[in-house]
Amino acid sequence: MMELITFGDTGWGDELLLSMVMTILVSTSSLAFGLLIGTIFASFKLSNSYVLKTIAEFYTTIVRGVPELLVIYLLFFGGSGAVMYVAKIFGHMGYIELSPFTIGTIAVGAISGAYSTEVIRGAILAVPKGQFEAARTLGMKKYAMSFNVIFPQVARLALPGIGNVWQVTLKDTALISVTGLVEIMRQSKIAAGSTHEPFLFYSIAIILYLFITSISYQFFNRAENKFSKGFVREEN
Amino acid sequence: MRIFKVFTTLLITLSLSSFALAGDWSKIRVGTEGAYEPWNYTNAAGELVGAELDLARDLCARMKAECEFVQQDWDGIIPALVQGKYDVIMAGMSVTEERKKTISFSSAYMTEPAKMSTLKGSPLATLSTAKNLNLDDDSAASKGTIGTLNAALKGLRLGVTAATIHEDFANAYLDVDLKIYPTQDEMNLDLSAGRIDAALSDSGTIEAYMGTPSGANVTFFGPNIFGGLLGEGVGAGIRQGDADLKAMFDKAIAEAAADGTIGRISTQYFGKDLAP
Repeated sequence: MMELITFGDTGWGDELLLSMVMTILVSTSSLAFGLLIGTIFASFKLSNSYVLKTIAEFYTTIVRGVPELLVIYLLFFGGSGAVMYVAKIFGHMGYIELSPFTIGTIAVGAISGAYSTEVIRGAILAVPKGQFEAARTLGMKKYAMSFNVIFPQVARLALPGIGNVWQVTLKDTALISVTGLVEIMRQSKIAAGSTHEPFLFYSIAIILYLFITSISYQFFNRAENKFSKGFVREEN
Repeated sequence: MRIFKVFTTLLITLSLSSFALAGDWSKIRVGTEGAYEPWNYTNAAGELVGAELDLARDLCARMKAECEFVQQDWDGIIPALVQGKYDVIMAGMSVTEERKKTISFSSAYMTEPAKMSTLKGSPLATLSTAKNLNLDDDSAASKGTIGTLNAALKGLRLGVTAATIHEDFANAYLDVDLKIYPTQDEMNLDLSAGRIDAALSDSGTIEAYMGTPSGANVTFFGPNIFGGLLGEGVGAGIRQGDADLKAMFDKAIAEAAADGTIGRISTQYFGKDLAP
């Protein structure tokens, strides 16, 4: 049975390793995309504009309230359909497919973005008001204030929550397997179906996911330490 | 920052959309699952192989078309065809009335009866029934066979895979405790573990499982079941608008069946002739 997981043309080791790289790529880019829209929508939610607030509220309510798989199906099949419809208007006939990687990143990113929005919003609210006032008193412009004073503090407060979002995002990528993207889940399904050894290959999938989560746990720990420099937890 | 460059390059390459034009059939894109041994599966080198891959290459040569294979998960294999991700499905898909509502099919290229299986020690293993059960045949003998099956399976758990003709059959004819599985492999594991008393599937797929160490204890029982809502066999799924492509496949399949190609390929992969 062990020869099934060797590397090269007779074993599944290389395919599984590649699929792990794909999972890491798609989950990191989803997280990055999610953080970007999370930051945007968190600032929408904290703005004074009623319209922006409503848009952000609408987004987080819908995306967090709908099963992840549904969002992926909607974007994968609906997205290509929409692009083709627009292309048809401009005279391009035929089939256009958005790559499963792009769709997967957008779908999982949109999901993780909804959760990130709340994490980032909470972190911004937790920065003491005095920090904003002090920065303004020093004559800092809005940009300098955001990046030099507020961002480092938001990062420190948001990191534990983002670490949580990361783990959820990583596992959501397993759902992209329905679009045909060969990540860990899809690859183990292919290997299991082709060799009739589902137990072996799904066990390997577990190990690969645990490997990624344990490595990223270390990474988040370090990042938390880095951003917590100069902070001592007050004992009372 | 080299790693960053590599990462961005990878991302850009991966995000590029793929284009393909439909219309003329000098190039045909064939969608398949690649995880359904021996119909269509992936070898350890990552190449698509299987009876349907060999058959597709043969059919394409007959149609003077260039074939390109596209892998797609079973879930979503029909929507992706309808949307145009590929032009044909060859994925061990049985022709059924239900599926004909959404897509059309070529004539069947392989037929295989459905069969029930159980563990060797089970009382079901020694059940005696007629050899064949043709669902198109409404005779008393057929009804008697179904009655025998129902009596033997009373109160027992029968496994089927979801959204298959076997599930339809069980719902229409059997009065059992039905357990529905997403894939054949999960059902196989539960059959071996004794979590279900019997399984209903294509005879070929369960035969492949019997050949593995964990499936050595599995055996067939009951009749070969075919006809009626079990459909005409396995055919190529084609979009309803592409009548010209369907005609090309029908012609090529008829030729491949007549000159023994289908018989040869199915004997190689299934150990028996499945030609229609």
